[in-house]
Amino acid sequence: MSEAVVSTRVRLARNLKEYPFPIRLSADRAKEIVEKIDAALKDCGIRFHRIDLGAVSETMKVALLERHLISPDFVRGQEGRAVFLSDDNSISIMVNEEDHIRLQVIRDGFEPDEAYEIADKLDSELSKKLDFAYHEKLGYLTQCPTNLGTGMRASVMLHLPALEITGAVHRIGSNLSKLGLTIRGLYGESTKPVGAFFQLSNQVTLGISEKAAIANLKNITTQLISQEMKARENLLSKIEVEDKIARALGVLKTALVIDHSEAMSLLSLVRLGVASKKLSTLSTDSIDRLIVEIQPATIMTKYGEDMTPQERDIKRADMIRERFN
Amino acid sequence: MLCQHCKKNEATTHVKTMINGEYAEYRLCPECAHELGYDSMFPDFTADFGGLLGSFLSAALPARSGATHCKLCGSTMNDIKKTGKVGCSECYDTFFSELMPTIRSIHGNTAHIGKRPVIEYETVDDKPAKKQGESLDALKAQLKKAIEDENFERAAELRDKIKEMEA
Repeated sequence: MSEAVVSTRVRLARNLKEYPFPIRLSADRAKEIVEKIDAALKDCGIRFHRIDLGAVSETMKVALLERHLISPDFVRGQEGRAVFLSDDNSISIMVNEEDHIRLQVIRDGFEPDEAYEIADKLDSELSKKLDFAYHEKLGYLTQCPTNLGTGMRASVMLHLPALEITGAVHRIGSNLSKLGLTIRGLYGESTKPVGAFFQLSNQVTLGISEKAAIANLKNITTQLISQEMKARENLLSKIEVEDKIARALGVLKTALVIDHSEAMSLLSLVRLGVASKKLSTLSTDSIDRLIVEIQPATIMTKYGEDMTPQERDIKRADMIRERFN
Repeated sequence: MLCQHCKKNEATTHVKTMINGEYAEYRLCPECAHELGYDSMFPDFTADFGGLLGSFLSAALPARSGATHCKLCGSTMNDIKKTGKVGCSECYDTFFSELMPTIRSIHGNTAHIGKRPVIEYETVDDKPAKKQGESLDALKAQLKKAIEDENFERAAELRDKIKEMEA
């Protein structure tokens, strides 16, 4: 599975009964909610670190987005929005995004059951302390009716270079929606796929249990991966493709300046080479970690927020060369 | 023509879109088009959802009925139609019959069958009892509500639970 699955995420949408949803929430009441959730998280058995979105730099927020700890919408962080992160960043709780609570668990690899189990446990703890909006017929009530019911979105981040090169991803996309699933770009809603990384997630949340939705996701992921593997076999029998992969590694090992999109395309090819045992260099896990580290805002939060784009591209090339040589 | 987003570069991309059910056109430079996701190779499933929902609602609702405002948040059905977002949990009760056609068109004619909130145990007379939910009377009340809501899956589940407790 690790040949094509990078990570797994499960998120639950919850709202407090007595407050309007974020769209009709005043800044004061939004802050009240942040405090309530802060208090509820204090004795849930997991330690959380709170970040008030109004109090951090733009770069910091984008870096959180790059690591999938907050959503694109949440970057426009105003007062009364906060995110709580567990020490290892595997759990993030966005407060006052589209819903009062967006609880998310991220795991490396293909672990939807484990991710759901953690999310479920924490949600149960919170529901003992907070009064969640719930309806007998409609389930958990959410600001957008698309999330009604379980309020759960389970997704897997997939690396599908062969299906992308052959163009099959497009056809698959339209078939998936018939199965209650969606495929999107790297950073989720309305983003472009980068380096052949895609997110596959469940779309339907009402009338299907969490377990059934996850089982469905697992089933389709397995099928998608087996198609990817078949396409890879075909593709890699061609010397041109193997050559392209070998050259990608050459560039990564030697480049002095590299922008994000070039780095992603080359890393994507090298990842394909490693997963198909055509190259022996870093493991796919190390490549996946590198992909996280070389994102623009992530570099800047580590090496200086006043970096120019060129300084960033030089730093990125340094990081990549160091890792591959 | 200059890009309507950054107002600096020459616009080369012509975007036609629906926002909240209203047709809109933009002219964008390549950078802004990229930034806003308009060069995505996949159709955008969610960004324009407000528009989609708005149009669903208008189609499903020739006339408004019942209450005009939600008691908790003050939303009107028009507010919900305009944004595609529901104002608060109370709105789902206030505008239940108006919202149902949209909910059905998204999820199908169905009812929730997943997790329910965990309600904390409260000790009464040294005997643990659920605040609500698990006592026989509470289950019977829930059954009545489930039937009223036409949530028959839930009703069947409750009926079995009650039978089990009474046995």
